[in-house]
Amino acid sequence: MASSTGLSLKFSPLSTSFKQNKVLLRGICNVNSVSLPSRGMRLGSLRLRVSCAAKPETVDKVCSIVRKQLALPKDSPVTGESKFSALGADSLDTVEIVMGLEEEFGISVEEESAQHILTVQDAADLIEKLVEQKSA
Amino acid sequence: MNIRCFQRNFSAALPPLVPLQLPSPMETHLWYVLPDEVKSWGLLNQYSELLSPCEREGVNRMRGDQLKKRALLARALVRTTIARYQTNSQMNPRSLKFRKNLYGKPEVEWRDEDNFSPLPLQFNLSHTSTMIACGVTVNVPIGIDIEEKQRRTKNNLIAFAQRYFSAYEVKVLTTISDPEVQRQEFIKLWTLKEAYVKALGKGFSAVPFKTFTIRFRETTLRNFHPPGSSVSEASDIIVESFDDPTNPTNNWQFTLLEVAGSHYGAICIKKDRTAGANELMKLTVWKTVPFVEDVCVSGTDAVVDLGRIIEQ
Repeated sequence: MASSTGLSLKFSPLSTSFKQNKVLLRGICNVNSVSLPSRGMRLGSLRLRVSCAAKPETVDKVCSIVRKQLALPKDSPVTGESKFSALGADSLDTVEIVMGLEEEFGISVEEESAQHILTVQDAADLIEKLVEQKSA
Repeated sequence: MNIRCFQRNFSAALPPLVPLQLPSPMETHLWYVLPDEVKSWGLLNQYSELLSPCEREGVNRMRGDQLKKRALLARALVRTTIARYQTNSQMNPRSLKFRKNLYGKPEVEWRDEDNFSPLPLQFNLSHTSTMIACGVTVNVPIGIDIEEKQRRTKNNLIAFAQRYFSAYEVKVLTTISDPEVQRQEFIKLWTLKEAYVKALGKGFSAVPFKTFTIRFRETTLRNFHPPGSSVSEASDIIVESFDDPTNPTNNWQFTLLEVAGSHYGAICIKKDRTAGANELMKLTVWKTVPFVEDVCVSGTDAVVDLGRIIEQ
C-alpha cells in the first residue's frame, strides 16, 4: 500500500493464518499449539514427543503472572502462543516470571529447563510436567 | 507511487558512516542510542532497509510500536556499529550476515564472497525501553548488560536474591540498610552477573547465577606522583566461580558504569593474553543516532565509572 512515509515495515498485527504457518514451520516442538485432527482419540491421551498441552487453567494462570510482571493492560492479548520476548520481557522479567511461577505452583525450575521457555505455552507445559513429577 | 523506487532513493541519500579505527586489545568501544531521540519515520524506514528479511520479521513479531521500534533500533545499531570499522572500503551495513554460536550467542558471519575483509570484532548487545547499547572489542569475548537505574523488581528483592544469587551476594545485599541503596546495588549486581554470563557465551544454563559470586575486592595502589608517594585504596570487581576450575576467573575484567544519568551498565571482557596482569580495560563511549550524529561522551557526565572507587 503506497503511503507518503514509504514505510517498509508493517506496523500492524500479524494475520492469524500467518501465525499458524510460523507455528507449523517450527516443527514438532510447537505441535501443542496446533489443533490436531480428531481421530476418535481424546487429545489428552496422545503421547507426543513433548508433554501434552497443559490445562487451560494453567495457561490462564501463566498469562496472568506474565501480565502482572510486564504490566500489560488487561485488554492486551496474551495467549499460549505469546512469546515472552515479543511481549517485551527482558532477562530480568523472564527470571521474575519463572520465580512467580515457582511460587504459584510450588515447583522448582532448573536453569536448563528455564532456558527453553519461549512462550506462555512452554511455561504451562513445563509447570504441569514438574507438578506431575512432584506428585508422582 | 512505487514503494520500491521510493525506498531505493531513500537509501541512496544515506550519508556514509564515519569510519573508525578498531579498538586495540584491552580496549572496548561502547555505542548507545536513545530511542526517544529517534523520532523520524523516514529515518526508521532507512534503518529498516538495513535489516535482513529475517530480522524484519523478528521486528514485526514484537507487540506494539514501541517494542517494534526498539527491536528495529537494536538491529540497526549492531549493523551500523560493525560497519564503521571497515576502513578500507565502505561496508554496507545491510551486507553483514549474522549467526548464532553453538549456545545461541549472536556473532558476525564473515563470508569469502562478500567484498570486504573480515574484522576480528566481537560484539554484544543489550537494551532497555530507553536505551540500546552495543559493546565492541577486538578478538576477546565481551558481554554487556544495561538496566534502568529506576528499575524495580516485582518480587521482593531479597527473596529474589536468595533464589538466584550466591550466598555471599545475598549477605552483601542484606546488610545494606537503606532500601533505595539496596535496590541500586541489586541492579548493579544483576548487570554485572548478566554481563559475565553473556561474555562467557555458553548460555544461561551453563553458568547459573548461583554458581558464581561477583564482588568488590580491595586493592592497594601506590601513587608515585610528586610531591611524595601515597597509598590509595581501590576496589576491583572480581568474579569467583564455585564449580568451574577449568575456567580461571581472573581472566575476566569488569567495568561498571552509570550511563546517560539513567542507566547502570556492566561490561565484561576476557583479558587478552598479551595484556599485562594489571592492565585496565580502556573504554570509549559514543552516543549515536546512526547516520545522523555521533557524539563521543567519554570523560563527560554521561559516563561515570562506578567500578573503581578510589579513596585517599
